[in-house]
Amino acid sequence: MSADKEMILQFAPWESFVSPTFWHKLAELKLDHDRLSDSKRSIAGHYTNRNASGCLMEVDYTAYNRTAQPPKFSHSASGTIYNKNTIEEFKALDKLQLLADEGKELLANMSSGEVLRDPSLLTRFFVLSFADLKCHSYYYWFAFPCPLTPTLKLQGAVQRLRDLPYSQNYIEALKLLPAESQNFFILYANEEHKVFEARSLSCLNEKDVEHYYFAFADPSEYDHPAWLMRNYVAFLLQQCPSFVGKSVKFLGLRYNQQMQMDDSRVWQVIQTEACDLSQPGELKFVGWELNKNGKMGPRMVCMRDSMDPAKLAENSVNLNLKLMKWRLVPDLNLEVISQTKCLLFGAGTLGCAVARNLLSWGFKHITLLDNGKVGFSNPVRQNLYTHADAVAGNRMKATTAAQRLREINPSAVTAGHVLEIPMPGHTIGESLLAQTEDHLQVIQQQVQDHDAIFLLTDSRESRWLPTLLGAANQKIVINAALGFDSYLVMRHGSTREEAGDGGQQIDGLKCINGDQLGCYFCNDVTAPGNSLKDRTLDQQCTVTRPGVSNIAASYAVELLVALLQHPRKELAPAYYAQSGRGKSEEAAGKVPEGLLGILPHSIRGMLCNYENIVPATQKFAQCIACSAPVLNAYKKEGNAFLLKTFETAKYLEDLTGISEFKRLNSEIIDFDDDEFDMSEEDED
Amino acid sequence: MGDLSWKDFLSQAKQFLEISQQLGESWMLVEKDSDEPNTFLKFSQKIKDNSGEFVNVEYHVVYSISYQVPMMFFQAHRSDGSLLDLEATWKLFMPETKANDLYQILTQMDHPVLFRPFMALHPCRTAEVLKQFEQPSSNQVLTFISLYGPHIKLNLQNAYGLSKDYT
Repeated sequence: MSADKEMILQFAPWESFVSPTFWHKLAELKLDHDRLSDSKRSIAGHYTNRNASGCLMEVDYTAYNRTAQPPKFSHSASGTIYNKNTIEEFKALDKLQLLADEGKELLANMSSGEVLRDPSLLTRFFVLSFADLKCHSYYYWFAFPCPLTPTLKLQGAVQRLRDLPYSQNYIEALKLLPAESQNFFILYANEEHKVFEARSLSCLNEKDVEHYYFAFADPSEYDHPAWLMRNYVAFLLQQCPSFVGKSVKFLGLRYNQQMQMDDSRVWQVIQTEACDLSQPGELKFVGWELNKNGKMGPRMVCMRDSMDPAKLAENSVNLNLKLMKWRLVPDLNLEVISQTKCLLFGAGTLGCAVARNLLSWGFKHITLLDNGKVGFSNPVRQNLYTHADAVAGNRMKATTAAQRLREINPSAVTAGHVLEIPMPGHTIGESLLAQTEDHLQVIQQQVQDHDAIFLLTDSRESRWLPTLLGAANQKIVINAALGFDSYLVMRHGSTREEAGDGGQQIDGLKCINGDQLGCYFCNDVTAPGNSLKDRTLDQQCTVTRPGVSNIAASYAVELLVALLQHPRKELAPAYYAQSGRGKSEEAAGKVPEGLLGILPHSIRGMLCNYENIVPATQKFAQCIACSAPVLNAYKKEGNAFLLKTFETAKYLEDLTGISEFKRLNSEIIDFDDDEFDMSEEDED
Repeated sequence: MGDLSWKDFLSQAKQFLEISQQLGESWMLVEKDSDEPNTFLKFSQKIKDNSGEFVNVEYHVVYSISYQVPMMFFQAHRSDGSLLDLEATWKLFMPETKANDLYQILTQMDHPVLFRPFMALHPCRTAEVLKQFEQPSSNQVLTFISLYGPHIKLNLQNAYGLSKDYT
């Protein structure tokens, strides 16, 4: 910049800088105080001239305090927030008019002398906003109103304070001025430029202009002064019209980190045209802040991540899971887990425990089907219910469990359906036919809408329909059943048709591909009938060691997760060591592992010796639940077929040919189910 | 022993505050109540992110009861008030480090005083590190900040080390 040429003085515009706490407080005020009122509210901003970067006007939660208390080394700016009730009002508001109205108030402060008393009025700003509190989105637009006055010409080069003669004297003089008066003040120099005095703005004397440096805290880091000097100049020229056409000196005070002010700038300026600020009707105003794209327009910020508790929980849960990925299992696919929809038949001991384990793994979609109410004995074992649910007397398990899951993790998508699961051999009377058909409709729809199905009911025959539907719809089916101190967790053989490599054959191990594995009923030679019929009460109720259900539920969920990580998912082969070769232990060590270890067909365990075995069995061609004749009959006849089987279980035995089998000598078929005395009860 | 008792943390934090005030710095002591560990040192500054935009970083030096060492919690926000999430924080402070290593250094944890998720430098090796500086250092809080701060662009002036109160 050459010294002999007059240049137009430019200003560094303000940049708004909002603390998250500003939005937090705005939300609180809107909800608890303002409600439907959208009247304007005074706020305070602050800016610093110490080690300043940019030209930042900052607002945080203290902005709404009655008396502004700027942070250390900062100065207060007086502002207003216009928070509108709707986005439409926010958009429709006449922005030019609002800016002009605000500008006129600024001029009024100037001419009333109010500015002399409180110079922070010169840094007037306002925010137009709309807070979408449901979505935690904030639309806002800052403005720093300023009258459009004739241009200021810069006379000579911009000087630094340290380059002025006797600059040390200036610095000494400034030290005597209290920090809160250092936003706008006068630095007085005598004739010889030797004696300096810092005076407050109210001491302004028009005649002494040659002796004055009009000083201000300057948040600019550039050669230009900050925007606030525009209003300062306008005010001084309005206060002292004789300054028009005269050279006036301005000092922009800037501290570095060590509180030295050597880098402060001095501008000598002149405004040659007069401007009558007392006729605001004639004046135009400028000052809307540009948005991030450098355009005239508002900004929008989504604060969901830090303000929505549900989002906070979701992120924290995800982080926990990600830690597992980062630390131990880099290839863990968390996406597939969060997308897999799970349908739980039964919301009792097993259902509750499975659902909670699913939440822990980051499953989002959980639906429960159950017809029961919460009873007094339930809450101690069924970990989604409380005593109060039982006292209420009418709380249905399915819906209560779904609600509890959302209370635990608000971002879970859960549902509960109260319904009976129709069972083979459980005749449906005329009066219940319509209801049964309704329930069937819901069950079929739910199976179709989910990816993985858990069988967690309390009887063997109630597992028949879900087994069939799972197979018919090519879903992943995980089954868990309990004995007194034993448990069975298994995955049903898949019916999904997908080309792919079969399992690798390994010496000493038998390999069964995922589509050849049996279901829960494949090992049975009788169709399910009424298994509760001839039992005493203690046999019908939950008679299991309490830990059994938690163990089985955990295995069930872990088995699903392990399957989902396999490239072929439920089509993954299962291996088991063939017994009777004397090498089964050695062979077991060779079972190929997936990402999370082996993928067994079934896990059978006992608490009495704390042991598990992991056998795998083939599909049974005459299975009463998953064999081709059954699936075909269902495909062809639909509900008519189902209703026939509900009428009499014998129908299934005839259809599949099991009746024939039963006539044969049973010695030729070695079923190992009895070995564990699996009673299917797991809850009442 | 690199361990620090709560009482020592508190008195050293206050001593640190005095030094910083003498140096004209804007550190503050935030006291929620008088319980352990509800008092912490706080500082904020603006830095520029990779695209040249300003972010404000707020640093909290908090006492960790379980590790018995000072812990560095911090959080950065942009000019619109939005917080930088873990990935963005990594990118800002440790752009060269691989994600698998980062979680061990810089991760998200619940703030022990504010009970909100905050970014944190992992405290598991702090005691060990501080131990090495025990002899020349009588103020472990100061040692801690000067050692851990630079990883997240918090650099103390040399003058802290020269302060008379401290040596």
